Amino acid sequence: MASTRDIRRRIKSVKNTRQITKAMELVAASKMKKAQAAALAGRPYAELMAQMLAALSTRVEDLQHPFLAKREVRTRGIILITSDKGLCGPLNTNVFKLVTDIKTPAKFAVIGRKGAQFIARTKRELLADFPANDRTSFADIKVVAEYMVKQFMEGTVDTVEVIWPRFRNTLLQVPTLMPLLPLSGLQEVLADLRSDAGLSATPTKAADTQMLFEPDAATVIESLLPLYINREVYQHALDAKASEHSARMVAMKTAKDNATKLLGDLTLEYNKARQAGITQEILEIAAAQFAA
Amino acid sequence: MSLTLEIVTPEAKVYSDTVDTVVIPTAEGEVGILPGHIALLTQVADGELRVTKGSATEYLAVSGGFAEVGADRVRVLAERAITEEKIDEGAVEAAIKRAEQEIRDAKDIDPAQYEHLQEMIRYAGVQLAVKRRRR
Repeated sequence: MASTRDIRRRIKSVKNTRQITKAMELVAASKMKKAQAAALAGRPYAELMAQMLAALSTRVEDLQHPFLAKREVRTRGIILITSDKGLCGPLNTNVFKLVTDIKTPAKFAVIGRKGAQFIARTKRELLADFPANDRTSFADIKVVAEYMVKQFMEGTVDTVEVIWPRFRNTLLQVPTLMPLLPLSGLQEVLADLRSDAGLSATPTKAADTQMLFEPDAATVIESLLPLYINREVYQHALDAKASEHSARMVAMKTAKDNATKLLGDLTLEYNKARQAGITQEILEIAAAQFAA
Repeated sequence: MSLTLEIVTPEAKVYSDTVDTVVIPTAEGEVGILPGHIALLTQVADGELRVTKGSATEYLAVSGGFAEVGADRVRVLAERAITEEKIDEGAVEAAIKRAEQEIRDAKDIDPAQYEHLQEMIRYAGVQLAVKRRRR
């Protein structure tokens, strides 16, 4: 049996660990609340954009736009959203599994340090990497999305897809791959936005009142579609943030619980060792008296 | 009959209320919207958006986006928007200085980053214009 001093030392170290993980859990919990709120705050925008695109699509026939044109896929372009820091359970690993499943040639633009490290380590083609700080701003993500769209327009990549840990709830994050470009049709886009915004998948009304466009329909769609792409990537980044903090909170809670359990076991062992020590000493004293 | 005005940015719902008239800055000049306006979808330019409700007038700085007008509603999808009373002149000026400094300092600046900084400066300029006109 280990000496009481050794056990005491271990108890101390486990206590420290528990304290740290507890603090990290609390930090993650408060960040998680903010991140989840931010992910939900994007909803009204999604809803409004769905309605605008719906208004457009019912009034404009035969849209011609490079985003809508299908082409042969030689290289896939993938925006990979991960976290900057670890200690968030299997979150990033699960996302990387999805990346490993991609067998066709692909090029990556990565948000978050963990993802950049993974892509570099597995010798995949990294086009660009961006930091993933705690305050995800639309402007930061726009840079990423526009970079990828540029690659798409120049023909470096033939698709733009996003892989991110989709936020379901605090306990569940599902790594998801979603194609963005080419938009295989506005209707799909709309159904997509509507489900994101929590609306039914079918348009509510086909308003056939006449609509004015300023400057004109083509110009409007020319700038509305890139905005849609930016928004979509931004929403996913917010989602990934919410997932990250949720996963970290859960991981830290598990670590804290394990530490508490270990502490219980160690305390029991310590008390037993102490008891054994005392019994031993009494025996020795008694034996010495008999001998005298 | 009145108008329902909603202004939404990717980060938040900035404005949502029933109003009398709205003046939207667009790529082709300002558009004044009264209830019963014909359906219109237009691009929003950087500028000042005016809202009147009764005798009160409110001012907002908006930048980039779209506005959809229906008979009884106006919905603005803006990249950035802020109400006049929330504009902090000092902070905006500091932001302009920072952005300009960044442009001057960086030798071979990334075009995307440059574009972003320019946008920030333009939006900051709009905010200042909105704030200062009321004096």
